Amino acid sequence: MIRPTPEEKKQWEEEGYLVFEDAIQGDQLKRLQSAFDYWAAECKDEWLDRVEAGEAAATFYDIPNPLEKDTIFIDIIDHPSYYGALMEFTEDDVILLGPQVRTVAPFPVSYTGWHPDVGKDNPLHIKVQIYVGDVPANGGEFGFVPGSHKPDSGPYKRPLFQESMPGHKTFPGKAGTAIMFNSCGWHASMDNATNEPRKSIILIYEKRTPGRIGPEQFAAISGHCQTPERRRLFSLPDLTS
Amino acid sequence: MPRIDAHLHVFTKVTPEFPREVTPICPAEREEPAEKLLDVMEENQIDQAVLVQIGGTSIDHHSYLLHCLNSYPDRFLGIGVVPINHPNPADHMSALAEGSGIIGFRLFELGGPRDIFETKDVQDIRAYHIWKCAAEKDYVLWLYPRSIDAHLLPYLIQEFPQVRVVLNHLGMTPGKGKFSLDELGRPQIQVSGYNLNMHTTYRLARYENVSVHLSGQYAFSKQDYPYKDLAGWHHNLLNDFGVKRLMWATDFPWILEKPGYGELTSVIEELLPHLSESELADIMGGNAKRILRFPNRNT
Repeated sequence: MIRPTPEEKKQWEEEGYLVFEDAIQGDQLKRLQSAFDYWAAECKDEWLDRVEAGEAAATFYDIPNPLEKDTIFIDIIDHPSYYGALMEFTEDDVILLGPQVRTVAPFPVSYTGWHPDVGKDNPLHIKVQIYVGDVPANGGEFGFVPGSHKPDSGPYKRPLFQESMPGHKTFPGKAGTAIMFNSCGWHASMDNATNEPRKSIILIYEKRTPGRIGPEQFAAISGHCQTPERRRLFSLPDLTS
Repeated sequence: MPRIDAHLHVFTKVTPEFPREVTPICPAEREEPAEKLLDVMEENQIDQAVLVQIGGTSIDHHSYLLHCLNSYPDRFLGIGVVPINHPNPADHMSALAEGSGIIGFRLFELGGPRDIFETKDVQDIRAYHIWKCAAEKDYVLWLYPRSIDAHLLPYLIQEFPQVRVVLNHLGMTPGKGKFSLDELGRPQIQVSGYNLNMHTTYRLARYENVSVHLSGQYAFSKQDYPYKDLAGWHHNLLNDFGVKRLMWATDFPWILEKPGYGELTSVIEELLPHLSESELADIMGGNAKRILRFPNRNT
């Protein structure tokens, strides 16, 4: 586990994000890409049926229950590239809320406008977005307003055009890049003017609060969680209890 | 500023003069004529209205709509229907609109690839020629598309930026198999609690030629009037589209019995209580007058 440097801690506090280039690389990245593509293809027809039924958005889809489909999706939850930072910022008490293994279609407008996920009084809520494929500028890359997580920031208003958000920064990146951000800060997916879908995984964490996630939530992968640390991360009961 | 009901339906019993399709929602003997509408409008200080075709897509099926527009030219404008598979939609649209008070056409489907990843060429979308005609003739397009077609809208809107587009009923896009009739015989649409349209139709707010109806609450809400569970959707639409691109409508006659036409005239104040007087006036008619180019009412 790699703890953040003083510079990284300062950036996290002041700007609300950190970028980990090559967070996932080599054979592990290839394995992640392969699992992502396989399961995205497998799940696509079911998603289209749900779009037709008005039960799913037409502009993106998530692989359902990814942790149960391939262990690579479990292994990235506590990946050493960024797990130390997660632990540091949550005072060593982080829980996983869930993963979104997401394919975003090329579309003239971004599938989501600028928004915060939670209010500033929420327990620290952190997302890590991992690019599974290369995400170029104007390719649906992540956008964030540095400093918008701070209590005295704002107020902010959602603009009609993504690029009109005052003070925002965009994050094009190579496959394997991970972007960690405080999700009470304002963020968005930028427009995708390319013909390629954006493939990324969004991992959602929070500083633990009692009862936030029950032991049943991730019970299906209990067998893959053999260390006390991992069981706490997935809100699973201790093996000795 | 006039108060304009921007989306409703009138129809008569089926007669040789006014033929129409018979459906569960419009049985042969049911009638909701324009004169009945004018009475409730008068009672509630509503000046004008948009009559939206119901009861079939053929020219003949539009007979009663055309009769009403001809009889009350300063009170009503009309929206016709053009079938997506019409071999020559421009002829159909021109035949209905020329000199009649019909200002546009309603579409329920767009006819493109169901898979957003396969949407490549806008001309492959079957509704393309309808949009092209609307662009050339300055017709309004009145849209209540299926969920599976919602992703096609930005391609068509970008191709034809001059077309005035009005998204019906809160910008909702009904899912297949989610339509039914309630105990009063009126439309009921089963929708997800999480509003998926935020990702498709609400994202169209960036296009200045797109407006939205604040209407149809009875069909989506899980509560009785004033449908407080839909307040968030109204706030989001106000935030995204702004006060100048929202139009109030009742969807008469489906609301006559429950909650009543009078109640519907207050639904915007109930769901958007922080509007100023002038903002409310815009939504209650000013926007419809400007966007749809309503004539001044004769006094």
